[in-house]
Amino acid sequence: MILYNYLAVGALAFALILLSRSHRAMNAFTVLHSLAYLALGAFALASGTHGFEAGNSYFYLDRLSLYEALVAALLFCFASVYSNGYVESLMEARELNRKNLKIFYMAFSLLLTTTTLAFFSDSLALFWIFAELTTVFSAVLVAILSARENIDAALKYIFIASGAMLFAFIGLIFLFKLSGEVPGCGGGTLNWTVLMANAGSLSPKMLTASFVFIFIGFAAKSGIVPFHTWLPDAHSKAPSAVSAILSGVLLNVGTYGILRMYALVRQTEAGPLVSGFLIAFGLLTVAVAVLNMLRQKNMKMLIAFSSVEHMGIILLGIGAGSPLALFWTLYYVLAHSLTKASLFFSAGILHRQYESNLAGDMRDVLQLQPLAGWGFIVGSVAIVGLPPFPIFSAKLSILLEAARLPYGGILVFAVLVFLVLASAAFARFLLEAFTRRSSGSVSNGLSEEPLQPYHVRLGMKVPIAVMLCLVLVLGVYCPPFLEKLLNGIVQELGYI
Amino acid sequence: MTPDFPNLSFTLFCLLNTGFVLLVSPFYMSLIKKVKAAAQGRKGPRLLQNYYDLRKLLHREVVYSPTSSGVMRVTPYLNLAVLLLASLFVPVIFIPDAPAGIGNIIVFIYLLAIERFFTALCGLDAGSTFGGMGSSRAMSLSAVIEPTMVISFAALAYVLKTVDLHEMFAITSASAIPVSPTLVLVSISLFIIIIVETGRLPVDNPATHLELTMINEAMILEQSGKNLALIELTHSVKQTLLMAVLINILVPVGLSGGPNMGDLAVSGLLVSGLAFLVKAALLAVVIGLFESSLSKMRLFRLPVFYMMAFFFSALTILMEVFA
Amino acid sequence: MISPLLTDPLFLEGAIKILFVFVLVTAALVISARNLASLLTTYTIQSLLLALIAGLLYLIEGSPVLLSIAALTFVSKVLLIPFFINIVEEKVKIRRDMKFNYLEPTSSLMVSIALVLLAYVFLSGFFALDRLFFFGAVIGLSLTLMGMLVMFSRRKVITKVLGYLTMENGVLLFGIFVTELPFIIEVLIIIDLIILVLLTTILAVGIDSTIEEYHQRLLKLKIWSGREYL
Repeated sequence: MILYNYLAVGALAFALILLSRSHRAMNAFTVLHSLAYLALGAFALASGTHGFEAGNSYFYLDRLSLYEALVAALLFCFASVYSNGYVESLMEARELNRKNLKIFYMAFSLLLTTTTLAFFSDSLALFWIFAELTTVFSAVLVAILSARENIDAALKYIFIASGAMLFAFIGLIFLFKLSGEVPGCGGGTLNWTVLMANAGSLSPKMLTASFVFIFIGFAAKSGIVPFHTWLPDAHSKAPSAVSAILSGVLLNVGTYGILRMYALVRQTEAGPLVSGFLIAFGLLTVAVAVLNMLRQKNMKMLIAFSSVEHMGIILLGIGAGSPLALFWTLYYVLAHSLTKASLFFSAGILHRQYESNLAGDMRDVLQLQPLAGWGFIVGSVAIVGLPPFPIFSAKLSILLEAARLPYGGILVFAVLVFLVLASAAFARFLLEAFTRRSSGSVSNGLSEEPLQPYHVRLGMKVPIAVMLCLVLVLGVYCPPFLEKLLNGIVQELGYI
Repeated sequence: MTPDFPNLSFTLFCLLNTGFVLLVSPFYMSLIKKVKAAAQGRKGPRLLQNYYDLRKLLHREVVYSPTSSGVMRVTPYLNLAVLLLASLFVPVIFIPDAPAGIGNIIVFIYLLAIERFFTALCGLDAGSTFGGMGSSRAMSLSAVIEPTMVISFAALAYVLKTVDLHEMFAITSASAIPVSPTLVLVSISLFIIIIVETGRLPVDNPATHLELTMINEAMILEQSGKNLALIELTHSVKQTLLMAVLINILVPVGLSGGPNMGDLAVSGLLVSGLAFLVKAALLAVVIGLFESSLSKMRLFRLPVFYMMAFFFSALTILMEVFA
Repeated sequence: MISPLLTDPLFLEGAIKILFVFVLVTAALVISARNLASLLTTYTIQSLLLALIAGLLYLIEGSPVLLSIAALTFVSKVLLIPFFINIVEEKVKIRRDMKFNYLEPTSSLMVSIALVLLAYVFLSGFFALDRLFFFGAVIGLSLTLMGMLVMFSRRKVITKVLGYLTMENGVLLFGIFVTELPFIIEVLIIIDLIILVLLTTILAVGIDSTIEEYHQRLLKLKIWSGREYL
């Protein structure tokens, strides 16, 4: 009954935040909340708990959901540590109204709870509803600064994501109807486990139609082209701690849904068709994202588009459909979440320093903010997928698997070209932003005042350092328990 | 086809139908005005006011502009004649055994178009600026409404599987289920067409004499005396006919006859006539209320209004084809 | 006199079909209306029609879930949500939504004809439903697509919200006619919808209104890389 523990911790954290008065207390409870979830997840994993939860068929814990929930809790943990200093400085700069502080932490905690519950939902309808709720709470976090730009971005996010999710619901209705025709499903069900057990007897044609609708919804949630338009706005305008959560956790909710659905479809004859569909969208996503990255002058926009690109790669990995590809896709999810969050954290510090995300406003980066500067550089190297970082090995393995598909050679070549362009985009941005020195920049006649270095609190530095270390470790060494876990997931999804 | 053409039933129909329409038309004009006045909290004209106006105008002298040609002189008579011919297409009391061609919906549309054409010519003929402006507006609007009107009537013809108005009415009055969804849809289009064709709000304001906004009134600005009376009468006949089409499609209750009705009882005819009077009065009230709930639309926004009619008609056809 | 009619399936089917027509009429009005108050009224009527359809379908099918859906729809979408949106509309002090993105209402209506056709062609490839139920599914899907069109083409947040709500109505209609979902899911969806409407309309107060506070706030704070906007 570990789910009750999750619920209880979530409710307790929410209540404590509601009652606490100081920022320090709220932040502490948020950190504790995520730590408790991390511990619960680890415990469940270690004790081998999986199966139906809470005495009914609505919730189900298996390795995949635990893995995703653990990644989410880890990210939330880092983000809540980081947000202590970050939010305080937002309030000092009067960008965040003190009255909104409690709303911020309440939404933060609710977001963690709903995201976790979404991963643990066995009923796809329940998953749908929790995914909708994550959209709502994360939109609150995007809009928390209550400037017009933020509200605009939040609304765009809500309308595109929720509108597309309605199509996903139509897909679920399809699925329910379709499962009603199979004797094993008892007149219609949306429970993934039951569907999985009967997937072979579902009508492939209807299942494809249902998949396409559900894909629209979750693709919008995870920023797949052409439903990605909200993503750069929301991710770049949200406070950096929130951007990290959006990129590192919420995008995974969408890909998780797609993966679950794909595991169903893979059991039928429609598998190859849907694989091709996913790969086509993956390639499109990578292409559009990279082309947008090339001319980007805004740091957070650049990172946001890079998230879109990585979602494309993950889609490719899911579409490739082999056990090895799935293994590395899951590994990729973890690596991307950690790296991307660290990039947003660094960008947050730089934004505090220059009050801007534009490359043109930055100078003396490495002198003023050595940790954030180097953090951003190392993060960039990691995110474009250079060895020894984990994205390199994961990407390489995914592409090797994709190369075995029909037309795989052309596909891999195209992806490689785009990846080179993505690296070029990061390199160009780094050269432009990080090489400018204040001494030589009086060319436009304006003498610039020397900037005072922004004092970075320890709580903001530690997450970046720890995450980059973690990423580095993951790049050179895959811990056996992780390998075992991922192999277990591959088995559970019926790949082997 | 029939050797004893013109048959008795049809001759009776010609006299009765045409006479009836001619007689009651001005009444509905006044009724709509009355409803609008009531909605605005005014007392409004008497219900028979239009008849008095017509009588007064018929005794007035006609004044022609020096630049005007024969068109100005012929049009009032021609238009009324065309509309009276059109009235044969829309039975309001009973459905006669009409010769082929009478009742054809396409001919009906083009009879209305002839009327519009001559009215527009008339507006140009007097040589005044307002007349020309009104004509140009009326023509551009009718160019926009034309496809809508054609598709609405096509939808009607498709639903009832005939292009003959007489047969349509016979089908609707004979069918067991009074209202079908497609007929409701097409009725909405027809209602919009009534509004547009009779120059009512939000398309045109029949009560205005403000030069910049009027369309229909501008075209007949130069008419006077007897000619004006005829034009007004023509306009009201047109309104009654269009209303009759909608009524007989949607609520044909009371319409007597079928093509082969030999023995027309006088009492039956009376009931039918009375039923039509009541139904048309109700529709007139609806039109009046509709008008008073809207304000005039800008000229360039009117296509949306027409588009609605187009949308519903297209949907009607889709539904009929698929459902 | 009424009770025999209420058990006559033929009459009920006819009534439901006519209600479908009115649902489409409301959809067309949501696409083209410019006055916020009448938009809201149209949405309320649309929801009422849906509740009626669910109620009539209950009389045919006899499944209590349908009756609960009818009641739920009535309470949430006819009373609660319109009431709330009305408050917000009064707050933002705007009466009209005149501006459109990409599509003017005229072309939107044209596109919706195509969308209805699309919904029909698509669904006929997959379902072998009873005529009435198939009709309902087509109308539901078309309503969803038309709602999407509204969300696309409108500028004001309030009207976008109404577009979203229209979409949701379409999904509900589709759900009623294609299959019978467990009631608990319907309840959860409504809760989700209410939270979403609450949030978006509260945010809308900041965007739609002419309150200068937000503009000035932005100017003062240089928030978010904003030089290009300033």
